[in-house]
Amino acid sequence: MKLINESSKTKVVNNFIVGLLAVYGISQKSFHLDDPTLFEKIVTEVISPVQEGIVSSKQSISSLWDNYLMIVNTSKENELLHKQISRLESDISSMEEIRKENLRLKQLLNYSDELTHHKILAQVVGWDSANEFKVIRVNKGTRHGIRVMSSVITDQGLVGYVYRVTPNYADVLTILDQNNRVDVLVERTRTHGIVEGVFNFTCALKYVMRNEPVEVGDKLLTAGVGGIYPKGIKVGMVRDIAKENFGMTLNIEVVPSVDFDKLEEVLVLVPQQVEESK
Amino acid sequence: MKMKLSQIIVALLMTVGLLVGLEIVTATLLPLFNWYDYRLTFHVLIIIFLAIRLDTPLTPWMILVLQLIHSAFSVEGWAIGTFAGIIILLSANYLKEVLHLTTALMTMITVQLFQIIWFVTVTTIICLKISDFSKFGMVLWSFVPGSFILSFIAPFLFWFLEKIWRGSSESSHGVGI
Repeated sequence: MKLINESSKTKVVNNFIVGLLAVYGISQKSFHLDDPTLFEKIVTEVISPVQEGIVSSKQSISSLWDNYLMIVNTSKENELLHKQISRLESDISSMEEIRKENLRLKQLLNYSDELTHHKILAQVVGWDSANEFKVIRVNKGTRHGIRVMSSVITDQGLVGYVYRVTPNYADVLTILDQNNRVDVLVERTRTHGIVEGVFNFTCALKYVMRNEPVEVGDKLLTAGVGGIYPKGIKVGMVRDIAKENFGMTLNIEVVPSVDFDKLEEVLVLVPQQVEESK
Repeated sequence: MKMKLSQIIVALLMTVGLLVGLEIVTATLLPLFNWYDYRLTFHVLIIIFLAIRLDTPLTPWMILVLQLIHSAFSVEGWAIGTFAGIIILLSANYLKEVLHLTTALMTMITVQLFQIIWFVTVTTIICLKISDFSKFGMVLWSFVPGSFILSFIAPFLFWFLEKIWRGSSESSHGVGI
């Protein structure tokens, strides 16, 4: 027995109308940038706090575990951390010198960096629920100054860019996603290429000619071309190079710098005009 | 047997609530336990249930509503899934006389079949949109394990959805699977 019986004519009409709406929606859809509808904004704003709460609860439990049950390792870690701090302080000191030198040289060369960046710390509260997309949701939005196309990084390297944003949340298209293409430079050889998401937390470096001297272990940095990512951010490392008998380019497998398995906090870089920052 | 519009709305709201809960499981809870690949696309299961079990002209609109909710959790958006849902609905209408979900095994096989239709439709559209069919195989690889898990879950989820939709009906008999 069926729950409901209605005329098949109405069914056909409804199927046709909704089907047409869907086709229109598909034609308007972009996987590179999205302006969420009012409905999507409302649903996201209502539901995401629940996601945030779950993440916070898990972190609280993990923190409790770390602080109380794993306390036996604390003194050893403390000693180790003290050594690391000493080393890092030394590094910071030398880096500061390099920074000042860099600043002087830039001024000397009349270097004009058009954009500076606001840095906004955000917490990851969820991942895209579809298999085809590698997108994360963070708990900061337009109210905190985030705009679409802002770069997202961690201390390890590049995460991706802001794909869509609501007042309190933003979706970030990671470099693991097949729709995200990052113009990169091989640090050692300065060879240009495009990094694309592949599958299973790996990426591919494309459009590198066969005669380029790229090697396994080479580091990849953002090239700063395209206006989304600032130059010089770590993207990944070459893990494997396949040279086939045909074709003009190399098949290069890249492992991202960022450990996406353990991604909890990210830094959103919002472009800002130099004039505004002054 | 006919349902009143108010009953349909109540059942739909409960289904939306269930969908939101399951989407949160997929998008937030499972990644917390390092389950990043092989996402469980619960919205597909719910839409397959509606397509198979309900015989109302409102089903396409219900699919649209569920997809709009899903779009808040995925950049896939509402449109591609709605189109796939309509394809599933049309297929189910043609196959209704031969679909007998009398056992859990039959339910699993049927759900797996409809998931394949869904996957082919959605992935083809995405590949067309990005003009790159080379990713088809990779997406297939990520689809297969998750779809098997969903097929195993299907009898339980369908039982639950049956409760929701039967509970909204005035009849005490409801739907015979």
